[in-house]
Amino acid sequence: MIILAIDALEYTLVEEFNCTNLKQKFYGKTNIKEFSQPRTMVLWSSFMTGKNMEKEILARGDKEMWNTRIDLKETFFNRFRDPKIIDLPGFNYEKEQHAKERVLLRNYFDAQGNDEKNKIRTEYNNIAFEHHRRVKKEFNEALDARHDFVLGYFSLADVVGHLNFGNRMMMKMIYKDLDEIAGTIKESFIVLSDHGMEKVGIFGDHSNYGFWSTDFEDIGNPRITEFGRIIK
Amino acid sequence: MISEGRKMSKEYGEIKVPKEIIQKIKEHIKDTEFKSVDEYVIFVLEEVISDEEEPEEVFSEEDEKKVKERLKALGYLS
Repeated sequence: MIILAIDALEYTLVEEFNCTNLKQKFYGKTNIKEFSQPRTMVLWSSFMTGKNMEKEILARGDKEMWNTRIDLKETFFNRFRDPKIIDLPGFNYEKEQHAKERVLLRNYFDAQGNDEKNKIRTEYNNIAFEHHRRVKKEFNEALDARHDFVLGYFSLADVVGHLNFGNRMMMKMIYKDLDEIAGTIKESFIVLSDHGMEKVGIFGDHSNYGFWSTDFEDIGNPRITEFGRIIK
Repeated sequence: MISEGRKMSKEYGEIKVPKEIIQKIKEHIKDTEFKSVDEYVIFVLEEVISDEEEPEEVFSEEDEKKVKERLKALGYLS
């Protein structure tokens, strides 16, 4: 089984850009209404454990939340003999990379003047794209190896989306690339996002639903905690 | 001048573009996911002639303030 886990993949853009590989045969929105806010760390932690982790994650505080590392034994990944998980928040994501992104995000909002903001935005986008290429390479290598479960987490649409969601060309380019990644997968897979994204001028904010797709079953409007049961 | 050919399942034609622009495109796409100048040019032209005309978004301090508050609430700006 393969999971293409895409942060902030937005249902309406998948439709608008007609990303046929991401849509597969069946696709829809996930239900995340049980959560007070669509927080990335809370949602992916809840996905892998099969239970609502909001209270537990928030108790750690905003800074410590990003250091969450859930043990394999507490996740549905342990049902597999040789699972390969790439960069998943709450499990094994590259802390330094994502911390660097959050620092640049804060610098962007603290900066005075458009020139300074544009400079920071460019650096922010560049490190996100570089990281995306590394994850893509690792994901392709994992697909070639004989793992019985592969999950590749791609954060580009979320990271770049926060400062560029109103830039249609840039978002279309990102969705095109994600669609191509889905197109390279030769066996059955699930596409899953934690939440989507909605436009606030040039910026992007998390939307209150996620995206799913499969080529084997219409799963309706599932909660993110149900995927451990759906994935066999 | 346009000439025609076939590549995979789509039919393709050729257009002439100044080399100077081709060089600029090469520079422009070197840090992107585009694998060739052709791919980039097709992408841009499809977007330009698309029927879905959306107004270009511009920076506003009000939007920035709103998103900054939301990102704080989501834990990104602690």
